[in-house]
This record gives sequence, structure tokens and C-alpha cells, in this order.
Amino acid sequence: MGRNVAIISVGYNGRFISKRPDINIPELIQPAVNNALGKTKLKPEHIDAYVVGNMHTFEGVNQPHLWASDHFNGSGKPVMRIATGGTTGASVYQAAYYHVASGMYDVVMAIGWEKQDEGDSQVGLMGILLPEAFSLFHFGPDTSSDRGIAGLGGGGSTGGAAFQAMSYLTRANAGIEHIDRVAALMRSNAAKNPYAHLQQPGCTEADIAGTPIISYPLRFGHTCPTSCGAIAMILVSEEKAKKFGLTDRVAWVKGLGSGTSDATTGNLIEGQITDPAEQQICKITAKKVYSMAGIKDPRKDIQVAEVYSGFSHQDLMWPERLGLFEEGMAPKILDKGGYAIDGELPINPSGGVTSTNAIGASAMVRVGEAALQVMGLAEGGHQVKRKIENAVAHGWGGLFQFVTITVLGKTPVKK
Amino acid sequence: MTQETRIIESTWDLTAYQFKIEADALSLFVKGLKDRKILGRKCGTCGTVYVPGPTYCRKCLIDIDQVVEVSQEGRLDAFTVSLADVRGKAVDNPFISCTVKLDGSDSFLMGVLEGWTDWRSVKEGMRVKVVWKDVTQGALADLSHFQLI
Repeated sequence: MGRNVAIISVGYNGRFISKRPDINIPELIQPAVNNALGKTKLKPEHIDAYVVGNMHTFEGVNQPHLWASDHFNGSGKPVMRIATGGTTGASVYQAAYYHVASGMYDVVMAIGWEKQDEGDSQVGLMGILLPEAFSLFHFGPDTSSDRGIAGLGGGGSTGGAAFQAMSYLTRANAGIEHIDRVAALMRSNAAKNPYAHLQQPGCTEADIAGTPIISYPLRFGHTCPTSCGAIAMILVSEEKAKKFGLTDRVAWVKGLGSGTSDATTGNLIEGQITDPAEQQICKITAKKVYSMAGIKDPRKDIQVAEVYSGFSHQDLMWPERLGLFEEGMAPKILDKGGYAIDGELPINPSGGVTSTNAIGASAMVRVGEAALQVMGLAEGGHQVKRKIENAVAHGWGGLFQFVTITVLGKTPVKK
Repeated sequence: MTQETRIIESTWDLTAYQFKIEADALSLFVKGLKDRKILGRKCGTCGTVYVPGPTYCRKCLIDIDQVVEVSQEGRLDAFTVSLADVRGKAVDNPFISCTVKLDGSDSFLMGVLEGWTDWRSVKEGMRVKVVWKDVTQGALADLSHFQLI
């Protein structure tokens, strides 16, 4: 199991926004690193090793860690880069955890970023939004067909996410209005988070319902923006946390894990090959993580969740698959106000990924936001008021198949 | 920094790359289409039927070679309605792309759904059948679309 590890600091570059033509990638990372260090008494020389990551090829710059290392003081120290699509940020953080838990290093910094204005991330994202990739993985390429089974991509912006959304709505007996409602909540939560990208104070269901449908049941208002931004976190061993006098305002890593399934459906572990709304791998991974964290009933023991939802229907689907609600109950709990920052189980007080998506940072932002909630340091009115003992952070990536889950808490697991 | 980042135009020649696919798996399926048959592979251990069939069972991780023909009728699984083109412009004739689980198969096929008048009335679980092109030549395009029964 390794040593106990604490997150002692979470730093941002500033507010996530669409374009930063004034700076380059190292300049985007550096303020986040300085911000994370500045919140502690630590100096760059206290950091033993770095784990960094962003989504490969989405920016115009290949291998950006090669020239960014100097800018986060990585010279002369171990630097490791990790890329696992949407889960990159969480994989980076998990690797940083392993660095410390293993006993190899005492103080490790994890950095995740994305500077999407330098490349054409839409090209990469179309693989998710359009069914071409879906059908390519399923059948292989066939350029001869027009509107046959392998030629679907040409005609319209349909996609895997829309299939998943449709399937989810049928399973949960819910309607497109539930997706509108959760999307509106996320955008208004974002208005309370000074770092969020799409801040829409008081955003209503009608505001979202007024946006055009891209691929039924997904509207423009249900999709995430492309953001530029960076996040840095500092992870330390229990002994160092005590030595630094940092045991009050920290988030302890109680349990973590990741899982991988089939690229096209996300379900090939047990039972039938089924639709992408099943997400069996998420359920299996969640169980393992809860057991590691000593959580018996996630519905009682977890007080806040940050889930990775590139599309708004996932804000309904993931909490169910994470065992926080019974399957099919999320729309009903949303309707009763349970999702809100002052609700029964606040989901994404930060505004989530549909409000801010700097891809390589996003999954780490989920962990960082969960850590800030546990520490009681979430700024600008998105701090959950009631007592938080445990928080869960979730990452989703690849096409449908990568999942990363972490439970953070106020008190470490006894070893 | 006050100056904006400099932008440099460049090109990327994709013809230098070669993409390989699992040809054996797909070719069984494609050859079957010429004779208007939908062929897949069945795992002898767990009984899962894959259409199109890979040459190995993705659950048991063993080689599989038992060829099975599945029904040309099935159940509409998930679908999406394309109401706009890739640029976001509304289209005059929306179309539905769907995933269908044919009877006897454990995996799903993707295709275009026809035989409906109002897309709002299309529901998951509806029965569909395969419609072939007039002339089948052993290509993925032979499978024209799925039709609501």
C-alpha cells in the first residue's frame, strides 16, 4: 500500500480562457507552479521530482515538456511526462502519488496543462464528437462507401457521445430537459469559481435549451469549451507534512485507482458487450478505490464529487456509475436540488468540465478541486459549506475506456 | 511579454504514415456481405458472438475461429439524430445514425436508420432489419442501412 501521501497545495495559472496568444506553453505553466509554491513555504529546491502531462498533439507543439522543464525548475531532477487522453491530468497526479507513496521521493510536483489555441484540438475532438472514429475502431477504414456503415462521418456531426447520451436517457427514463438543467447548473456554479472558463451567473435551463442541437440529444450548450490553462499540485509524504507543520489544511489521498476497457463501447470486462452508457469499468474501479479508502457506503461517506464530463449528460451518468446514486436516480436527485453546492451531494461545485476544459489539466483539476473542498480553500463562493470528510474525483479519457478515480479525505488512512 | 506569439505556417504529410488494421477479422465480414450474409465469430469458451468478428476473444484473450451467421433482424440500441452539418448549419433532411444489436450477436453494428417519418417517434428497443444495396460486391457499403420493421 505504500506511505500516506497528502496534497498540500493546488495552484492555477489564473482563469482558464479560450486564447492566450501573448504567452507560450512554458509561460503558461510557470505561473501555476509559482502559485502552488507560493501557497506554501516551499521553494523550488524543495521539490524532489516532477510528473507532468498534457494531451499529445492537440497543441501545435510536440513534446512541450522538453523545453518547459527549465521553466518549472526541473533541471537536474527527475521529470516524467504522461499522456492518457482525457485522463492525463489524473494519471499525472496518480504517478506523482506513486513517487511519494513508494518512498522514492518525499516532495513531488504534478503539473497538467493545455494550450489549445496553438493547435487545432477540434480535429482531435472530432474523433469523439463524430462517429468516424467510433466506426473506424469498430470496422476499420473504408473509403469506398458513401452512407453505408463506414461512411457515417461525412454527413453530419453525430457521435459517440450522442449515442451514449441517448442510451443514458432511455436507461434513466429521463429527457433532454434534464441535460439542459444540469448544464445550466454547471455554468452557474462556474460563475462562483474565479478560475472557471464559461462563467454564466444564474444560467437557466431555458438559456441552454435555446442553443442549437448538434447531434440529438446533445446541444451546443451541453458541450465543453476548449480552454487554455495549467494546474500544479504538490504532494508530500506524511513525515514531510508533519515536518513542514502542514497537517491541518491538507487533503489526504485515501484511495485511488484506474481502469481501462474497450475503446468503442467502454464495456468489455464482464457480461455482455453493451452500449457506452453502461460504463462497467467505472463501477469496478470505484468499488476498488472505495475499499482502499475504507469507504463502506459512498452515498453516506462522501460529501462532494468532481466528475469529468465533457458532455452534460455525463454529469448525470458518472455519479451513478461511481455509486453515489442508484442507477437512474440522478435526474430525480437533480430535480430535487441535490446537485447544488448546498444540496444533498454537491456535484462539480467548480462548474465541471462542461464549463472549463483544458484537456491535459482537466482530470487533475477534478482532483485539485476535490482537494480544495477538503481543505476548505475553494475560492469565490463555490466552497461547500457543510463538513466534508471525504471527496471523490473522477477522470474519463480515451474514447470511452479510461477511468481514474481518487478519494481524498480530511484524515489519513491508518497504516 | 508584450509581443504576441509568432505564428509559423507549416504542412504535415500524412502519406508518410501507414495504418494497419486487423484484416482477417474484417475480411470475413466483408466477404459475407457479397452473399448477403452477416458473419461473425463465436468464442468457444464464453460463447460471445462478435460481429464483425475479431480473430481473438476480447474477454478470454484466446484465438477463436468458429464462424457463425447471425440474423438480419435486430434491436435498435442507441441512436443520434443529425440536425446540423459539421459546421453547425441546420440540415434540411436530418438523418439518424444508430447502433443495432442483431439477433444472435453480442456486439453491435453501426448504420443509418430509415423507415421513420418523425425522428421524435424513434425509440430505443424498436425492431429493425438490414437493407442491402441492389448490387452487393463485397464491401462495407453493401449494407445500405437499417429499416424500422
